[in-house]
Amino acid sequence: MDTLLNAEEREFAQKMRQFYRTEIPEELRFKVATGQELTKEDMVTSQRILNQHGYAVPNWPVEWGGQDWTPVQRHIWLEEMQLACVPQPLPFNVSMVGPVIATFGSQELKERFLPATANIDIWWSQGFSEPDAGSDLASLKTTAVRDGDKYIVNGQKTWTTLGQYGDWMFNLVRTDPNVKKQAGISFLLIDMKTPGVTVRPIQLIDGGHEVNEVFFDNVEVPVENLVGEENKGWTYAKFLLGNERTGIARIGGSKVNLARAKAYAAVTKTARGTLLDDPLFSARLTRIEAELTALEMTQLRILSTQAAGSDKPDPRSSVLKLKGSQLQEDISELLVDVLGPQGLDFVTDRTQGEGLSDLPLGAVDALPAYFNTRKVTIYGGSSEVQRGIISKALLGL
Amino acid sequence: MDLELNDIQQELASTLNKYLRSEYDTQAREAILHSEEGVSREKWEAFAEMGLLGLAIPENYGGAEMTFAEVAVVLEAFGRALVLEPFLATAVLGANAIAAAGSEEQKQEILPAVCEGQTFLAFAALEPGLRYAVDTPSTTASAGADGAFTISGEKNGVLGGDVADQFIVTASENGELGLFLVAASASGVSRVAHRQADGQGSASVKFDNAPAQRLGAADAHAVVAELLDTANAAIMAEAVGVMEASLTMTAEYLKTREQFGAPIGTNQALQHRAADLYADLEYARSMALYSRLAVTNEEAGSEKDRHRDVIAAKMIIDQSARTISQESIQMHGGIGMTMEYPIGHYAKRLTVISRTFDDADSLTAELAEIGGLIEPHAADLS
Repeated sequence: MDTLLNAEEREFAQKMRQFYRTEIPEELRFKVATGQELTKEDMVTSQRILNQHGYAVPNWPVEWGGQDWTPVQRHIWLEEMQLACVPQPLPFNVSMVGPVIATFGSQELKERFLPATANIDIWWSQGFSEPDAGSDLASLKTTAVRDGDKYIVNGQKTWTTLGQYGDWMFNLVRTDPNVKKQAGISFLLIDMKTPGVTVRPIQLIDGGHEVNEVFFDNVEVPVENLVGEENKGWTYAKFLLGNERTGIARIGGSKVNLARAKAYAAVTKTARGTLLDDPLFSARLTRIEAELTALEMTQLRILSTQAAGSDKPDPRSSVLKLKGSQLQEDISELLVDVLGPQGLDFVTDRTQGEGLSDLPLGAVDALPAYFNTRKVTIYGGSSEVQRGIISKALLGL
Repeated sequence: MDLELNDIQQELASTLNKYLRSEYDTQAREAILHSEEGVSREKWEAFAEMGLLGLAIPENYGGAEMTFAEVAVVLEAFGRALVLEPFLATAVLGANAIAAAGSEEQKQEILPAVCEGQTFLAFAALEPGLRYAVDTPSTTASAGADGAFTISGEKNGVLGGDVADQFIVTASENGELGLFLVAASASGVSRVAHRQADGQGSASVKFDNAPAQRLGAADAHAVVAELLDTANAAIMAEAVGVMEASLTMTAEYLKTREQFGAPIGTNQALQHRAADLYADLEYARSMALYSRLAVTNEEAGSEKDRHRDVIAAKMIIDQSARTISQESIQMHGGIGMTMEYPIGHYAKRLTVISRTFDDADSLTAELAEIGGLIEPHAADLS
């Protein structure tokens, strides 16, 4: 895509490429490149290096550590990060709660939370979804009842990603049950060490522990932990979810995974040559490559529109999510199919011992990643929600 | 990075779209479709007066010396209106072949006539039994004693060949690919005119020792490769116009057609499929742009990338064209099957476009063969 960038943008891309490949420890990038699970420490290490250089929260206001970048520069920052296999800054901190506090929070909240959030001294967890509030988020039931200078919170959140590491949690809570459901929601910050907060792991089909349930049992939360105004939480949540969609297509990451599947296919023997030479496999791979290019061009067209000064809601963002998530799944499936019969076990190590040969490359991560990646067409507004948004824009019905 | 149309291109698009809406509406098109020639010479003159036919032709041959980007703007507008005249055959394939491979004299003779709308050209490359392959024609060219050439062989699927005044013919001369100019009126040339399903004219042409001039100013392989890449990028721009009009029409139908007491578009099954068509259209726009950038990239050594990018783009365009054309008919129901209602005409054009110059399967095979778009790379292999 370099030919589409102007001279300054190319130079910026070069600078970011150089930075990521020299400053972020190679063993971290190798883990990402080979689909290994990152520890909490890995993620913290990476984000702190980024933050030291002003690259953790470029989307924030400049006075809180952000960069005065164009939409194209922000795109390059993320794309090059993914291409260099750098662990991404924690989205809950940098794309979600940070921008909400920076935009809607009091000066006091900003000073208290923003520097620690950028530097991941606080690990944030997201408290939005509930057992009965998934795509229909506004029907959430967790309550916060005002009692003097505190709220008493009761209820249950779910799908709390990496909540096992969480220090603080940003929550949507119901503060007024007697109005239209969107109008009675507030945005409340809760210290997860407060008595009455219980985090319980949810085992996923990929064999990992990525998400949790969080229970609130008469949890006392000081009123100064309210962000913005009471009952305006839905507005802040919509703002947050809008940010969440930026970069959700994960084009750089998909390129890396596709390049990897292709490299493995080239060393995988079949009865007639290598898998890469197999006509049906290569046709499938080639279609995915063309689609990924179409996705990238679509992203660049959206950026170009933004660079030209338009900030209107753009249904093409939903196209990015819809198509980008599908491609991530297709690519994860491709990798499973490269491994074929040797990729069907859940194993933790490629070496088998006992004089047996090593399992093929990708044997540890391909299948768990395939199951894990099912989530991408569900989270951040499911594919069905995206189609609803697009058809609303198209048909207005 | 700036991917927006510039002011001149926007102006061109808006003027042309306005003209076509008033002068090339369904009735006007219908009349041309049912006329004897199947093209309107009056409209062709109007296109010439608007300067559309020589947009990318250098000024000293009567053109506007603009770029392919402006040509793409015209084709997108033509796609919206399903213009029947042989713009692709004459102003893109024909004119580009002459500009790339013609001698100064040949350019002076033909290009100004193209700009003024006085001549139709056609590129005769396909042959019976060769499917989409154009590099190894069975048609032969023989040099005479006086430096003149004669051509013998059979071409088919010659776009615009029904009305062409001159053919640009691929032929093998002593086993080498060459390009030759043959007048339609020359001795030994006979043609059978056809109408494609979309109403556009084509022809099968027989050359029997027909007198020809060589277009020899450049390497024929390189000229043909660039010609087809550019024509592909052009037809993709047109396809975007056709798809956009199809989706607009289909969305309108979903909003207004009532069954069971409500617009059919209130059904989620249809809403979600319509959303998929919107996504397909955006992909098509993205890749039409991608191919446009590929054919206008003049960096040294970019020919290989150009071809790779164009075929990748056409794969996506063909896929979108297929889905949008088929779903447009399905969502319209029975009325979409009728000649009276426009949607079927759009579907027919898309059906033809996705099989012109190549098709999705042959493109996929070719892109795979040249290594695809992404370099294989794995951190644990290197």
